[in-house]
Order: sequence, then C-alpha cells, then structure tokens
Amino acid sequence: MKLFTLLLLLTTTALAHDWPQWRGPQRNGISDEKGWSAKWPATGPKVAWKASVGIGFSSFSVADGRVFTTGNADNTDTVYCFDAASGKELWKHAYPADLGDKYFEGGTSGTPTVSGDQVFQLSRWGDLFCLNAVTGKVVWTKNVQKETSARIPDWGYAGSVLVQENLLILNIGGAGLAVDKTNGNIVWKSDDKDAGYSTPLPFKHGEDSLVLVSSGKGYNAVKTKTGEPVWSFEWGTRYGVNAADPVVSGDQIFISSGYNKGCALVKFGETTPVWQSKELKNQMALSVLLEGHLYGFDGDNGSSRSPLKCVDFATGTLKWDDKTIGPGALTMADGKLIILTGKGELIVAKATPEKFDVISRAPVLTGKCWTVPVLANGHIFCRNAIGDVVCLDVRAK
Amino acid sequence: MNTRRTFLKSAAAASIAFHTLPIIGAEVTKKYRTALIGSGWWGMNILREAAASGRIKTVALCDVHEEKLIHGFEDVKGDSGDEPKKYKDYRELLEKEKPEIVIIATPDHWHALQAIAACKAGSHVYLEKPTGHTVNESRAIVKAAKDAGVIVQVGLHRRIGPHHVEAMNFLKSGAVGKVGMVRCFAHSKGGPELPKPNSAPPEGLDWDMYCGPAPLRPFNSKIHPGGFRNFLDFANGTMGDWGVHWLDQVIWWSGEKGPKRIFCTGGRDIAGPAISNATEQTTDSPDHQLATFEFEQFTATWEHRKFADNNAEKHKIGAYFYGEKGTLHIGWKDGWTFYPVNEKTKIEHGNSQLQEPDGHNIALLWEDFIEAIDKKRKPIADIESAHRSSCLPMLGMLSWKAGRSIQWDAEKEQIIGDEAANAMLSRAYRGPWEYPKV
Repeated sequence: MKLFTLLLLLTTTALAHDWPQWRGPQRNGISDEKGWSAKWPATGPKVAWKASVGIGFSSFSVADGRVFTTGNADNTDTVYCFDAASGKELWKHAYPADLGDKYFEGGTSGTPTVSGDQVFQLSRWGDLFCLNAVTGKVVWTKNVQKETSARIPDWGYAGSVLVQENLLILNIGGAGLAVDKTNGNIVWKSDDKDAGYSTPLPFKHGEDSLVLVSSGKGYNAVKTKTGEPVWSFEWGTRYGVNAADPVVSGDQIFISSGYNKGCALVKFGETTPVWQSKELKNQMALSVLLEGHLYGFDGDNGSSRSPLKCVDFATGTLKWDDKTIGPGALTMADGKLIILTGKGELIVAKATPEKFDVISRAPVLTGKCWTVPVLANGHIFCRNAIGDVVCLDVRAK
Repeated sequence: MNTRRTFLKSAAAASIAFHTLPIIGAEVTKKYRTALIGSGWWGMNILREAAASGRIKTVALCDVHEEKLIHGFEDVKGDSGDEPKKYKDYRELLEKEKPEIVIIATPDHWHALQAIAACKAGSHVYLEKPTGHTVNESRAIVKAAKDAGVIVQVGLHRRIGPHHVEAMNFLKSGAVGKVGMVRCFAHSKGGPELPKPNSAPPEGLDWDMYCGPAPLRPFNSKIHPGGFRNFLDFANGTMGDWGVHWLDQVIWWSGEKGPKRIFCTGGRDIAGPAISNATEQTTDSPDHQLATFEFEQFTATWEHRKFADNNAEKHKIGAYFYGEKGTLHIGWKDGWTFYPVNEKTKIEHGNSQLQEPDGHNIALLWEDFIEAIDKKRKPIADIESAHRSSCLPMLGMLSWKAGRSIQWDAEKEQIIGDEAANAMLSRAYRGPWEYPKV
C-alpha cells in the first residue's frame, strides 16, 4: 500500500485541487478545496494576472499548474495555455472558425478537457483537437462534423469533450458521438438529429456505465461503450436549447431549460417526472446541488430578471430567492457559492437553504459575463464575453 | 429651455396616460378572438403583450415549424389558460377559426399573401414591419384592407414609444429650426463571414412551406430560426429591418408621401462574397449600405454598417434631424438628445421609456390597435402610411440591386422612365403561389 502511494506521488504532479474539465473533477460544479480566503477588502481579492483571449463563453480547466481556455478573434479560435500562477502564456493553438454571432457575441463555447498530458477541444463547428498539454503540439485533429455529416445545431456544438477510458464522448447527433481517444476514429454515433448544448455526463446505473446527453428534443442515456440507447426523456424546448447538464443524485436526475420552459426531477428510466415546475429555469448557467438543495439562476442569461434561487431537490419547493444580483453563473467550494454576476461582480455567499448570505463581493470584470468562474488551488478564474480574463489570488494568508 | 422640456414631457405623459385609461362602456369586456401566424420568438412576444391587454382570447396559432407551435401553445396556456388550436397552414386557420384579429409575424416574403388573406377573411390585422418584400405586395395589402374595411396596424411602435413622441413634439415645436437633412443609421461591429454547411431541415419543419412564394433553397440553420432577414429571398437585410423604423420617423415627421429620387450603394466588402451552393451557405445581404432619398424639401439618408462599430460618434443607432438650430438625435435605449448650434444653449435630453422584456413599446401599440378597432378609427401605424414608410427600404434595395438611381412618382407609385426597374417593384413567385394583384 505504501509503495502504491509512493508510485502515485512519483507519477503525477497534479496539485490537490485541480479542475481538469467542465464542472470539475466530479462534474458537479463543486470543488473540494478548503481553506481559500472568502474574505476580501472592498476592492476585491488581489489580482494575480490578467489576459485577453478573444470572444467566447468557454470556461477554464486547470491541471498541473496550467490553465486552459479559448476565444475567437478574426474568425480564428485559439486554445490558450497559461501558467496558472503567473499568467505567463505557455502556448496557444489557433485554427479557423466562424465567429457565429447570431443573436450574441459569438465565439467559443466549449471548455478544454485535460486528461493526463493531453487536452481535448471541440469547436462549435466540429473541429476536434487532441493537443499535448505541455507543448500545445497537435497529436491529432479532424473535423467530426464533416466526417459524419452530422447536423450543426443553431448555435453550433457547445458541449465540452468527455473522456471515458479510451473514448471521447461528444454531444453531436441526437444522442452523442464517440471517437477513439488515441486517433479520433469514430467508434459509435447516434441518429442524425439536432444535438443539444450540454456536455455528456457520465452516469452509473447498476453495473452499466452510461452517459447522459441532451438533444434538441430531450435528454438521452446511452451505453458509454456502444452508444446503445437505454432511456430517453422527452423535453422539448423553444429553439431546441437543452444546454444545462443534468444534475444527478442517485437515480434521480434534475433537468432544466430556459426560454420559460422550466425544470423537472426525473427518476432514471421513467417517462413522467417526479415533479415539474417553472421555479428554476436554467438556460446555460446550470445549478449546483449541495445537501439536498439546488442553487442556481432562474431565467435566461440575457434577461435582467433572473433571480438566484435555492430550491429543494426532492420537492422543487423554493427555499429563498434573491432578485438583486441575477443573471449570473456559479460554482461551489467548502459550502460556499462562488458567483460571477452577468455584470462582472464576484460574490461569495454561504450555501445554505436558510437565506442568501453574502460573505464578500467585489467587481472584477466589466461587460457581459455568462461564463461560470472556476476555483483551483487558491485562484479564481473569471472571464467576460469579449475575452478579458482575470485570475484572482484567494490563497489563505 | 427647461420649462419647455418639462412641458413637452408632461404633454407626452398625458398622451400616454390617455392611451392607458380604461375605455368606459360595454365594449371594455369585449375580448377579440385572436390568431397568431408565425409563433416564433417575435410573434410570441407580440402575443404576450396582446394578451396582457386583457382584450383578446387566443384561439389559434399557426407555424410551419411544429416546435414553435408546441411551445407557443404551452406558453399561451400557461399565461392565460387559453388553449389555441394549432395550424400549419394559415389558409386552414382563417377558414376554420374566422378570427376577429390576426397577428402576422412571419418573414417578410410571406406578409402580403397572409395579410391579404386575413383581410379577405374579415379579420383586423396586426402586421409586423416591414409591410412587404417588394413594393407591389405592399400596395396590394393596402388595397385589400381598404376593400375589406378592416383595420391594419403595422408594428412600427416607434410612432407611439414615449421618447419618440416627446422628441417629435420637440421637433415640431420648432426648437430644431427648419430641417434640411435627416440621417438614419444602425451600426455595429462584425467581420468576415464563413459559410455554414447545409443540413436536412429540423424535424417538424415544413421547409417548402417556409420558403413559400420565394425560391426553394437548401435548408441552412443560418436562415431558420430567426436568420431570414439576412437572406434577400426572404427579406431586405438591415435596411428592411432597422431601416424601416428610422425612415418611418422621417415619414411620420414630414407627412411626405415619398421621395423623388433614390440611390443606394453598398456591398459585402467585409463579410465577403455570398455563398449558396448544394453544400453550404453564407447570408447574402449587404454588410453596409448607403441609401439617399431625395424629398421635395429635404434629403434623408440611410446607412448601416456591420463592422467597425461606431465609437467615433456618440450614437450607434437612430436618426439625426439636422435643422438650422442644431441636431436632434432620436435613438433607442439612449432616448433623444438635442445638440444645439449655439454653444450657450443647453443640450436637451429625454430618456427612453421602454417596456421589458423586449425593450420596445409593443404594449402601447397594441392598446392603440384595440382602441382603433373599438372606436372604428385609424390606428397610429395604419397600413397606408406604414406602406409608404416600408417603400423606402424596398426602393433603396431595388436601387442597390439595379445598380442605378431611380426616379419615383409617389402618387402613382411608379418608377419614372425605367421599365426594367419598374418590373422590380414585383417579383416572380414560386408556383403555386401567385403574386397579389394591386
């Protein structure tokens, strides 16, 4: 056992609280990091570094002292790798990609996924990259949309890459697409239907390894290895926008969409929900579940009336709401909400069903902010739509 | 100066208050049986405002895309409890439902056929702007409304938006002096456009019916949902969208029937060449256009640019009225502002007074429409004057396509001495649809 631990220590340089993918290591939006400083002066936490990455809504992944994000400028997407502590640009990889600014600023949507010494990125138009995380060199690349002639949903592919053993699972087609991690060869694909905008979510049901993938018409569970459909839950949304990843607890799945659609708690395998309401409509910024309560913004990101809410997971009952700060996006760590509001204010509040209890708040960015902030190893990473990135030092003093 | 501003503001407020007063009498409980054709984003927004007036019962929705019908139905039922019937063909809707009011919020190329059919069915019509895609379609709607004796309100809500009313009162008070030139504009940022692959139409979309009288082309999600304005088969680009609002302010202010001469230039020098083939498409509307409309007493211009933004000037959208005493800007979220020639005179300003969630003033326009029906009076954006405003971008686009200036007889609504250009006042329809007769 001791030898095993020692081997682990020798073979990985991973820091304790990395965030290697969209929604974090557990894919639940929660970091297990403790001891970071939630109390700042009125001017906000110390700015460790700033950068400019171009237009987009891509969030951050952090691994082995490197932070990755993406943006678009001059019809070119760029994947950036910075030194997480100093902000020094370690490498970048650019490729042509339409800005695609129908009804919004456009730019990149997906967040890079780090797996070992590789980083994977899917563009809105189907360009898939396997890059060396250390050097940025292309290991392999292909356009999976062109190869499969899959439909591009109205706003392009927005889900990030999910790594499952030797497979990359992508939200392309009616219920996902899988390629071989080592070479990009197609392993399985689904019907030629409009994809949704969520990131495939791994889901265990008994012995079965499944993934939950949204389409334009609902949420589907398929077998990870084969893509074989197991269950689907019909959930039609105006414009086919099912963008929020499901939030899972046991075999219960919380599904939510914007455009006044609403939300539902569904038991895996069932076709009628446990409960359904309009209490917590997550358009793009999805909710986080802690101790039986969902915390999230109710309403569209572009609306000025999207309150922050705490809702009981089991019943859908509203615990509290705050109408002053929304819209916004949030993550969670050490029982605290870390919120970036639509106007660039960073707020830390206690995650409690009692009330909205603010610990600290400070403006950290200007302009439109739709992207969820990320906490990793004592730093909070935030960005706005035009691509201003700020890294804040919240290490304990 | 302040006194006049206060007066103007309260005058505008008074006129708004008048509109919002409940109408005393038996008619107040009358709920008009209303149908919506085109239940996408904007159509549903109009319907929501209409329902909020408490004066309608939604009896039917029509859309060629099933998804829009299903979610439209859910929204209506959730908001008002009404359970509208769902139709994919507006002709069937009109025949079976015989609605008292029809709201039309389809792409421009469908406006004429649907509005004329609604008029013929005896329905009052709320028609989204612009009135038509080509001039003679728009003329045919005017005729159909007249023949049927129904009221047609066009979605030119900037005639009733409080800050527009305020600004127009200011302009008409003489504070700007004699106006010799008006410049209307909408500028934004942007860059080159890359094509997007064509795909099979989404399930439940009748693509043939979407294209309707326009040429059938491969489906591309740049077009639907909500992208039709930048495809010239279906609409007239930014000038037909934003342009009609601001050029309408010129017609509203001047009372003119139309310009004498029109010349328009523009292109896609930044967006790049339009692409449309079997595998992929870009949009095909100009990324910038400059149109000059020469009137009897003044010159009006339209300009839009979808690159460079407009940070060198104070405003990005609206109309500048240039008078002897200064420049009046009427804008959107930035309200109205008067910049006097005399530096000692104070700058005057009125804030915008917009209604959420759409940031426009649809509720006020709807109230006016209902009152016009109740009282059998002309609505504020009646079809005849709205048609004249809609002709400006349509004629601008005609000049741009023809590549030459045109002389316009606004009385006869004909282009003078240019038969080829005159022919462009109409267009060929794809069978079995027939171009409406004027």
